[in-house]
Amino acid sequence: MKLIGMVGTNSNTSTNRKLLQFMRKHFSSQAEIEICEIKHLPAFDEPEDRQAPTEVQALCEQIAAADGVIISTPEYDHTIPAALKSAMEWISYTTRPLINKPVLIVGASHGLLGTSRAQMHLRQILDAPELKARVLPSSEFLLGHSLAAFDESGDLVYANKVQELEEIFEEFQLFVKINQQLVKDNHFKTEQSKAFSWESAIWGGERA
Amino acid sequence: MKFVGIVGTNASKSYNRKLLEFMKSHFSEKVDIEILELKGVPMFNESDDQSQSPIIQNFNTKITEADGVIIATPEHNHSVPSALKSILEWLSWNLHPFDGKPVMVVGAAYDVQGSSRAQLHLRQILDAPGVNASVMPGSEFLLGRANEAFDEAGKIKSDRTVDFLESCFYRFMRFAKIANLLNVPEDVSFEPGTYEVKAVGHNGDLPMIVEMSSTRIEKIDIDTAGESQGIADVVFTRIPSQIIEGQTLNVDILSGASVTSNGVIDGVAKAVKMAGANPDVLKKRPKAQSAINHGDEEYTADVVVVGAGGAGLAAAASVLQQGKKVIIVEKFPAIGGNTVRTGGPMNAADPEWQRKFAAIPGEGHTIEELAATPEEQVDAEYLADFRIFKHQVADYLRDTKEGKEFLFDSAIFHRMQTYFGGKRNDLQGYSIYGQYDLVKVLTDQALASVKWLEELGVEFDYNEVTMPVGALWRRGHKPVKHEGYAFVAALEQFVRAQGGQILTDTPVKRLIIEADGRVSGVMGTGVAGQTVTVHAPAVVLASGGFGANTQMLKQYNTYWSEIDDDIKTSNSPAITGDGILLGQSAGAELVGMGFSQMMPVSDPQTGALFSGLQVPPQNFVMVNQQGKRFVNEYGSRDQLSIAAINNGGLFYLIADDKIKETAYNTNQAKIDKQVERGTLFRADTLEDLAQQIHIDPTTLVDTIAMYNSYVDQGHDPEFGKNAFDLKVAVAPFYATPRKPAVHHTMGGLKIDTQTHVLHESGQTIPGLYAAGEVAGGIHAGNRLGGNSLTDIFTFGRIAGRTAVEEQAVLSKS
Repeated sequence: MKLIGMVGTNSNTSTNRKLLQFMRKHFSSQAEIEICEIKHLPAFDEPEDRQAPTEVQALCEQIAAADGVIISTPEYDHTIPAALKSAMEWISYTTRPLINKPVLIVGASHGLLGTSRAQMHLRQILDAPELKARVLPSSEFLLGHSLAAFDESGDLVYANKVQELEEIFEEFQLFVKINQQLVKDNHFKTEQSKAFSWESAIWGGERA
Repeated sequence: MKFVGIVGTNASKSYNRKLLEFMKSHFSEKVDIEILELKGVPMFNESDDQSQSPIIQNFNTKITEADGVIIATPEHNHSVPSALKSILEWLSWNLHPFDGKPVMVVGAAYDVQGSSRAQLHLRQILDAPGVNASVMPGSEFLLGRANEAFDEAGKIKSDRTVDFLESCFYRFMRFAKIANLLNVPEDVSFEPGTYEVKAVGHNGDLPMIVEMSSTRIEKIDIDTAGESQGIADVVFTRIPSQIIEGQTLNVDILSGASVTSNGVIDGVAKAVKMAGANPDVLKKRPKAQSAINHGDEEYTADVVVVGAGGAGLAAAASVLQQGKKVIIVEKFPAIGGNTVRTGGPMNAADPEWQRKFAAIPGEGHTIEELAATPEEQVDAEYLADFRIFKHQVADYLRDTKEGKEFLFDSAIFHRMQTYFGGKRNDLQGYSIYGQYDLVKVLTDQALASVKWLEELGVEFDYNEVTMPVGALWRRGHKPVKHEGYAFVAALEQFVRAQGGQILTDTPVKRLIIEADGRVSGVMGTGVAGQTVTVHAPAVVLASGGFGANTQMLKQYNTYWSEIDDDIKTSNSPAITGDGILLGQSAGAELVGMGFSQMMPVSDPQTGALFSGLQVPPQNFVMVNQQGKRFVNEYGSRDQLSIAAINNGGLFYLIADDKIKETAYNTNQAKIDKQVERGTLFRADTLEDLAQQIHIDPTTLVDTIAMYNSYVDQGHDPEFGKNAFDLKVAVAPFYATPRKPAVHHTMGGLKIDTQTHVLHESGQTIPGLYAAGEVAGGIHAGNRLGGNSLTDIFTFGRIAGRTAVEEQAVLSKS
């Protein structure tokens, strides 16, 4: 199984990056997790020509080729960072590779709450018509006190959290397979989502 | 009334911009709305702080000055656009203009939903603690099908929509007025008095005394005895000084010391509460002026000195004595570096003075033995001096009458001891000894340095000649009071009185190096993040060694078989080798970097010197964890350290009540407190003392009995201790736990006798000088106790003098 692990911040130091690096190592026998960064992406600015910069195209191609995506998000001001939101906007504004793509949300925070509110928002965002990702339901992985969570070799030191993550990851692998069944025959809906625009939506899709 | 309207997108075409423009013109008779655009706002990135950039500062100022803010948000993917989120992140990180600011949320969208979901997210975001806006509840204005909403003149077509917008807006005007009342600072008055509180520290509670007059916090005293030294030292000086300066509890916590930072702030808050005032009001006050970035700073001087320890202060004082302008740049909030941590004795041979003191048992033997060193063991440069020394010893022995032996000394003896004491081989067999011309300057100028310090106001105690541990001879000039601080206090007073400027809290990041290799100033970072540039044709590096930089110690170490990752140090945490790196950036040659010194008698927990009973080495009785002596206590620091490490590191200094009286670092109150804390042991019998430190009572009793018999005969057949004073006889008895800790780094920048820093090519680096521990070559493999102060004041003084003289030559030519 080939997965993308998207680091949800542009910061040079991030425990969310560490979390993904740990997952890549820990689950290496079950899946190949490629870590992808959003820190080099330009800020989304709604270009009129709808042409994505090359960095965005590369990210979209990476996502399209993967069986699923893990997003690890920090929480800034009760929601996801602007940098991650900007990446989502680029994706939804261009080739929309997240449509029907299985997504697992995880998050790490220095404080106690472990990004609970940001994850809630991210679920809502991924439900938007231009994104329409298939987010693993009923499982959230919140890593609080993340500064103390990793040892020198990058291993997660909280044993119960490791176990929780293992179970969630197993579910996610199953979910990726089930999802292939689920979306097998809904080309119409997929194409509709790909062509979706708010400008046309208000006319019931009759005018572009 | 003045509002700011933020267009929640950076897109060139936006109905939200249209909506704000409509509001601006429609309500122009009631309020002034200034529209701010997101175009050009950089993506928020915590690794690249752009809080000070003009565009973010413009947002910050405009919002701070406004009576309220209207945010018009589109909806992208069920949430707010990243561009809007980005500015909110910038304005909730190091800047907080939204704190308490009345905010109205509106939105326009193609969809019938009209940004409903984005508005809900935005409300949650504005509620986050870093933003903390006062968002108007209710009165939700959603403009759906925005593409049809406006006419060609930009007016909203539907009267009902305009009516609803008006009702929402008028409500916001009233809301803003009321919400801003919450922002009016409350008056604060204190019940004057002194309040005792406890701050939470890393190692338990820190007792604090806060003194308040009716209108001000006047003084904050923190008892830091229980806290380990480290970054926390900065907390205890900077945070109280900012609280008092700004009369505010709005103080930045120090990264890496958040527990202690918050402990101090909470402690003062508690005292404020006890004085009958509301600490929240003080938390809302603006930060202290010194904590605010007022923009980059630029200075010019004749000489700039890096580091405000003893060497830097001496260099600055010497510049000022020649009537030139000097600026000292210091990275810590407090000056003094390692110098404030020394015991205070400074080596200088002053035979006229020393001969007034009787010799103590063992001293005659020591000089005879040194004079008997075979000449083939003396390096060629030192041979002529060694022969003079032999004559001096012969004369002394000839002229001294039995029973009337006095304390011998000479500059040449000091030189020979510095040379022999520093001559060492490292693990790779590389042999090192002090560079002759530098050691000659050190020992010949030592007494002149003492006299110079006296002129500047340092008072020495001539009733006593002391020997710090590892000094090998009694030639220590000790200030009357305050140990090492005495030097720093006198020099600081002189420097400031003569118009010298000291910039604290400013680590130097780089040297300014001209195209021709000349060093012409330094650049550093001020406490609020501003760039501080000092232009000067001469730069003196006096930033100390690298004893507090374990990584650098390990990188260069060739002397110790192992340096633990958690090795303690007696040094200030500021001593991290910065000056050595700066010198290297100009191509400087390094010398003797592999040799570092351990202080054998350091506190096992903190590395500090000033705990327990620190007595003169003739009164040291060192026992290992088995209760046995293991070394000649009069030996050099490295001999003692190696012996201690071979005996398991931890050992004890045993003292009786009389020996206690000779301790130069403490008083009865401190002793009682340490006994209570369990960092010093006291008992009425040796047996009880032994039990307290978990060693066999009989062994300790035997060891002490043997030691006392050696004192009586003036000779130690076991370890050959060179000098004795008191026996261990009078109860109560004490045991001070000790362990070697990093104390000094002998290696550093290669300098000449005029303190020029030498380039790898052997040439001097124009404009660059170095003095003190940052320089190498003098102490070589092992520095004698008491020689460090001699070094910094002698070479610091020379650096200041040379730097000024060479400029005079330069400007003439």
